[in-house]
Amino acid sequence: MQGSASLLWLIVLPFATSLAAIAMRANARNAEAWLAGLMSLGLLVLTASRYPSVAAGGVLRHEIAWVPELGLNLTLRLDGFAWMFAMLITGIGFLVVLYTRYYMSPDDPVARFYAFFLAFMGSMLGVVTAGNLIQLVIFWELTSIFSFLLIGYWYHNAAARDGARMALTMTGVGGLSLLAGVLLIGHAVGSYDLDAVLASGDLLREHGLYLPILLLVLLGAFTKSAQFPFHFWLPNAMAAPTPVSAFLHSATMVKAGVFLMARLWPVLAGTEEWFWIVGFAGMATLLLGACFAIFQQDIKGLLAYSTISHLGLITLLLSLGSPLGAVAAIFHMMNHATFKASLFMAAGIIDHEAGTRDMRRLGGLFSFMPITATLAMVASAAMAGVPLLNGFLSKEMFFAEAIETHADSILDTAAPYVAVLASAFAVTYSIRFIHGVFFGSKPEELPHEPHEPPFFMRLPVLLLVMICLVVGVAPGRTVGPYLHSAVVSVLGSDTPPYSLAVWHGVTLPLLMSVIALAAGALLYVFLRSYLSASEEGPPYIRLLKGQRIFERVMVSVSWRWARLAESWLGTRRLQPQLRLLIVVALLAAVLALLREDFQPGVMRIGGADLAFSGLWALGIVCAIGAAYQAKFHRLVAVLLMSGAGLITCITFVWLSAPDLALTQLAVEVVTTVLILLGLRWLPKRIEEAAAPLSTAATVRRYRDLAMAVASGIGMTIIAYAVMTRQPPQTIADYFLQNAYAEGGGRNVVNVILVDFRGFDTFGEITVLGIVALTVFSLLRRFRPAPDNVDSPEQQLQQAAVDDPEARPDAGSIASDYLLVPSVIMQWLFPAIIVFAAYLFLRGHDLPGGGFVAGIAMASAFILQYMAAGTRWVEERLRVLPVNWMGFGLLIAAATGMGSWLFGYPFLTSHAQYVELPLIGAVPAATALFFDLGVFSLVMGATVLMLIALAHQSIRKLRAAKATAPAEMDAT
Amino acid sequence: MLALPDHLVIVPILLPLVTGAFLLLFDERRRTLKATVSMAATLALAVIAFILLSLADMEDAAPGARASVYLLGNWPAPFGIVLVLDRLSALMLVMTSLLAVASLVFALARWHKGGPHFHTLFQFLLMGLNGAFLTGDLFNLFVFFEVLLAASYGLLLHGSGALRVRTGLHYIAINLAASFLFLIGVSLIYGMSGTLNMADLAVRIAAVPPHDRALLEAGIAILGIAFLVKAGMWPLCFWLPGAYAAAAAPVAAIFAVLSKVGVYAILRLSPLVLGAGAGASSGLADTWLLIGGIATIAFGAIGVLASQAMGRLAAFSVLVSSGTLLTAVGLADIAVTAGALFYMVSSTLTIGALFLLVELVERAQDPAANVLAVTMEAYGDGDEEEIEEEVGVAIPGTLAMLGVCFGLLGILLAGLPPLSGFIGKFALLSAVVGTGDEGSLSMITWAFLTLVILSGLFATIAMMRAGIRIFWAPVEGVVPRVLLLEFIPVAFLLLLCAAMTVQAGPLMRYADATARSLHAPAAYIGGVLSAQPVPPPEGNR
Amino acid sequence: MELTLAIGIGVLVGSGVWLLQRPRTYQVIIGLSLIGYGVNLFIFSMGKLRMNAPPILKSGEAVNPADYTDPIPQALVLTAIVIGFATTALFLVVLLVSRGLTGSDHVDGRES
Repeated sequence: MQGSASLLWLIVLPFATSLAAIAMRANARNAEAWLAGLMSLGLLVLTASRYPSVAAGGVLRHEIAWVPELGLNLTLRLDGFAWMFAMLITGIGFLVVLYTRYYMSPDDPVARFYAFFLAFMGSMLGVVTAGNLIQLVIFWELTSIFSFLLIGYWYHNAAARDGARMALTMTGVGGLSLLAGVLLIGHAVGSYDLDAVLASGDLLREHGLYLPILLLVLLGAFTKSAQFPFHFWLPNAMAAPTPVSAFLHSATMVKAGVFLMARLWPVLAGTEEWFWIVGFAGMATLLLGACFAIFQQDIKGLLAYSTISHLGLITLLLSLGSPLGAVAAIFHMMNHATFKASLFMAAGIIDHEAGTRDMRRLGGLFSFMPITATLAMVASAAMAGVPLLNGFLSKEMFFAEAIETHADSILDTAAPYVAVLASAFAVTYSIRFIHGVFFGSKPEELPHEPHEPPFFMRLPVLLLVMICLVVGVAPGRTVGPYLHSAVVSVLGSDTPPYSLAVWHGVTLPLLMSVIALAAGALLYVFLRSYLSASEEGPPYIRLLKGQRIFERVMVSVSWRWARLAESWLGTRRLQPQLRLLIVVALLAAVLALLREDFQPGVMRIGGADLAFSGLWALGIVCAIGAAYQAKFHRLVAVLLMSGAGLITCITFVWLSAPDLALTQLAVEVVTTVLILLGLRWLPKRIEEAAAPLSTAATVRRYRDLAMAVASGIGMTIIAYAVMTRQPPQTIADYFLQNAYAEGGGRNVVNVILVDFRGFDTFGEITVLGIVALTVFSLLRRFRPAPDNVDSPEQQLQQAAVDDPEARPDAGSIASDYLLVPSVIMQWLFPAIIVFAAYLFLRGHDLPGGGFVAGIAMASAFILQYMAAGTRWVEERLRVLPVNWMGFGLLIAAATGMGSWLFGYPFLTSHAQYVELPLIGAVPAATALFFDLGVFSLVMGATVLMLIALAHQSIRKLRAAKATAPAEMDAT
Repeated sequence: MLALPDHLVIVPILLPLVTGAFLLLFDERRRTLKATVSMAATLALAVIAFILLSLADMEDAAPGARASVYLLGNWPAPFGIVLVLDRLSALMLVMTSLLAVASLVFALARWHKGGPHFHTLFQFLLMGLNGAFLTGDLFNLFVFFEVLLAASYGLLLHGSGALRVRTGLHYIAINLAASFLFLIGVSLIYGMSGTLNMADLAVRIAAVPPHDRALLEAGIAILGIAFLVKAGMWPLCFWLPGAYAAAAAPVAAIFAVLSKVGVYAILRLSPLVLGAGAGASSGLADTWLLIGGIATIAFGAIGVLASQAMGRLAAFSVLVSSGTLLTAVGLADIAVTAGALFYMVSSTLTIGALFLLVELVERAQDPAANVLAVTMEAYGDGDEEEIEEEVGVAIPGTLAMLGVCFGLLGILLAGLPPLSGFIGKFALLSAVVGTGDEGSLSMITWAFLTLVILSGLFATIAMMRAGIRIFWAPVEGVVPRVLLLEFIPVAFLLLLCAAMTVQAGPLMRYADATARSLHAPAAYIGGVLSAQPVPPPEGNR
Repeated sequence: MELTLAIGIGVLVGSGVWLLQRPRTYQVIIGLSLIGYGVNLFIFSMGKLRMNAPPILKSGEAVNPADYTDPIPQALVLTAIVIGFATTALFLVVLLVSRGLTGSDHVDGRES
């Protein structure tokens, strides 16, 4: 129906307008004001026009599917209570916009202000019209975010930044815990829909999760509504521009908390826990707020604390769990909104006209601004609860409730006294505000001569004060019906009978009011002289500032402790990380083994072979030797290492895996050469005379040794266990059977590599290529450490004995040096090429293949380097390794994609033999082309790496000048 | 016969490969050409990824169709290597390609000049990622892990500089060790089960005799550790913040996906191999995933709070995201998995965008030093190619724009409403709470709930602190010089997150379907093992 | 024989692990290579070991898998060898560059 659809506009329009507002020029204050004003006025009218459909407990619903899977739909729901709030938000919003136009200075970038303001209004409307708890949380958080931006609007001063940060932190915590609470509610009820939740009150109150739900939801509400002990953010939020305070901290944002409590009142209230928690918080807030308010010197500070106290009053009323209490609470929500908003605006006017808000400096302003003064007086009379004003009515109700006995307890018996005391305080700070600002001695040294504000700046105050008066005089005929519809929509069937009459005759509540008024007045007279001189905040208590405590806690928790915890739980050093990795892996394996019953080998095959054992005795010596020598004798270490590698090769041969042996050998050669080339750039390390290790170091070493031994033993056990087991039926047999028939090759391993699992090879060569590129680009910027810049000693000695002119320049070698070998090696070059080609072609049937061939090819180049020196080779090296790599990959890919043409998947091979002279029958499987790609890439990559590394030796000159930055980096 | 469209599954691997190889044939100086080709390829990749997504989504529960199982070399599974396309892999492909587009565009502004062969390495990284997401073979997975790792080594070191090299050394050392674990695990699994094909393994594992099972499980456990190192589970994650924070902005952005590869592997294998069908081995990993994941969230959240350098903040958010996902996998529940998938996409895009924004924002701090640093890192000693003036307009109101982006990212990162970050968290949490029985929640649920919410709070505080420092600092910070080209990708990623928010409904449906098929792997297994090779034409063969 | 090989593997890995925890980059790279050998042999040992079994299929007659070694681990080892080679080379260069930039050959780039 049209009525419900219009609810959507209520949410969409403010945000849309906010976007329009941000788009405007920063100082287009009039245009902005018109935009915002008209918008909020329109929203006000729109809301008002919806009244008929919510009047008699009716509910407007509008639902839009969003994420039905999660029970998360956009449900807009307007009932009497929501309507009342919507009216407050839009109405006061409109007045504040009007007020802002005159409050903000012309050179304020108001575009941002109005944008945030409208967005906030939208989120607030979203909160009150939410028909789905998750949706409520969403808009709830949005109000936090936008209030953060509004409070921090004048971010250039530190107070605004801190106030904003604190507000967001507190309300953020609240919002998150509210989310958790709502999640639990959804779990308990099975739906997030508000109506569904409201319908299942008993279920919730009996539910096992009731207490967590209650705590989480209340944490959200309390932080938002600044209830003790979370109240301290509100006074600090006063750094915001006054219009913001007037809107957020009187009518809307802080009301969201009590709104939520009232909204969920039917389902959560009425239990012991509710009574105690909410009651205590409310009472404490009521009293403390009122007490602190008296001792404020800043007008806005006074108003802020009084707001806190009034919110406490509302909370207290809600805590009682009696319908009448709820009625009073709802009534006071709207009353407080009206008079507090007007007071904030009045304070703003004073600040604006007199240039200060400090009551010690102000005084006697009545003669300067009589009208404003009158308005302020009426408003603060309402705040004090003077009869014939709306504040009086709700306070009467409050008293009436306070003297009732709800749950027999201290809280309950204390209630009446606390009530009287608090309202006495209220009277005191109201008088103080009026007297301190408008009467008494004329102010001296004010920034400028105060005077009445422009009419339109005063108009909002006027209107609100009118409302206070009218409601106060004739409540039944003015707000009666609206209040009733609000009450009904919250309490539903158990709405109690209540009367809004001004005069109930001489009753106990009336008496209490009188006492409160008198006592408050007396208290002011008593305190006056002290207050006129005292500093900000109540005596003694002012010393412990909520704000300072908060900042301290924040800093230590969110900064010091966090950093401590991070350094304690983590590390930035490599060794501990590797150690952890090893430990975790060991644990994982051991736990897995223990999980099932693990017993090692069952099957025995092949007894001990003496030669083999001897071989491995050697291998073990090599391995341990390498490990032992790696620190001080690098050369020895690398030789021992390749010794171990050699043993590995032999093992492969021994166990009939020639391909592996061949490849391992080839790789061995290249790796060793690379490492040898690299050694030159490492720092000299002379074995110092075994310095005695500190005990800690010794312990660490033993721990490392233990871990090494453990992992070694672990591998041994697993390997042995596997080898001595009957192997399962593997997929290998398929390969053996089909290698020749389907793969067209007799060397099964090679067929697997280039055909069955050719894709692996593809990836593998890509890795090689990538690494070569990385190595290349890293070494392009290579800067040797200072102590490596000049030539190694050997070369220097060599240079010393050489005759100078025989040695043209760095990087080449003296002509007579290694003459014979170099000649031989140059002769070898073509031979090796032929050999490589041979290896390549026979690959498919016999050990060999593209990879080995590529390495062999590359090793030919290495020989040239060793023989003739870098310079000589690089002058003659006409091929570009990078291009080889590119071609290699492309050939391989093309081979693979060739099969697409015949409608087969990638890498499908086709095999047949061709006769080549001398070599004989050559298997010309398409895989051969693939292998060609492999060959080209491997050669390219290997040569590239070698060049890059070897080339460094002739970069010394440049390196020398680059050492300065290198040292900079080192520090 | 396969028509060309049937080969689409392998294109996400081949396209980057060919592109990368092709770019090798050109000289470094021809940057525009390289940039154009690389950009075009990446865009094409994104398009293809979306096509594959729609394919995967169409054929529900019957992935026997050719489009989803691709027999490489025309060898039948489990003997040959298979590529499998299902909803999960398609989702990963799309996520990767989107992030790739963003970070590549960003790189075009400045970073691709930071050293040789940037585009080739970038393409190879994409190849590795896509391969890892598509392959259905354990050893092939290893190979693609190596491809993407090798490329990531290259990219991490891209631009050189002491810091990068130092962290790079750690990164490489640890990942090499992890690769050995990977090898040990895979070979042990082969030795005990006699297969390398994931689906085949899922079939065989139940039949493994008890005295072999111990060894098999040891293999699986060791393999799992290798994955967890990549995913960055505490206490195996300390290399991550340093490395990611040190990487160049576009590289770091794409790295946001890198850590998800580990998560992906676990998410793929845990329900498949250790699912209900695994006999005695079912649920082998779950408990450990839960514990480790929760520890990771805690560590990540603390790190977020404790880091003042924005780069580290973003890097620690990666850990938070990983931890959340690992825990979700450990819970092994359909609804939770669905939520986790949504969360994964959202958080990955967010963190990627954050990495990009961080660089722009930190330029505001001290542009002189920044440019100096960039040139120092990017151009080493003088004789390399010279830095040329960037073309393009510095966008107006730069700080304001950056501020807005920063705020939105903060909201996304903290999981505050209304953006996709919130929806992801909400989907996850509501599912987790839903797992509890009536009336009470399990310890794990409580811990998870608390930690996820706390991590959100910490992110809020940290981002607020940083934002106030950067944008609200009283002294007007010098306006950074930001090219439009660098701003667009950030905005693009933010728009994606916004779109995710609006389209949350359909996306959740997709995630839900994905989760269902993950936890009921029969269709996957059947599809792989029943896929028939193309019959050879009579005559040869 | 199996035992010999198993012990060999254990020792290789063990000494590698020891080196992995040392502070010098050079020690780490030697350690990685040693572990590499160990792991390659480990993979290899996953197939059934046989001495002097024909590595190459005889042409012609039907194949009885029992006569041959398991080729798959060999293929895997080949791939592993290549990748190991690549990564070793990379690590070598990185440690050289790191040594050049930081002036120290400590794994953390600074003496501690």
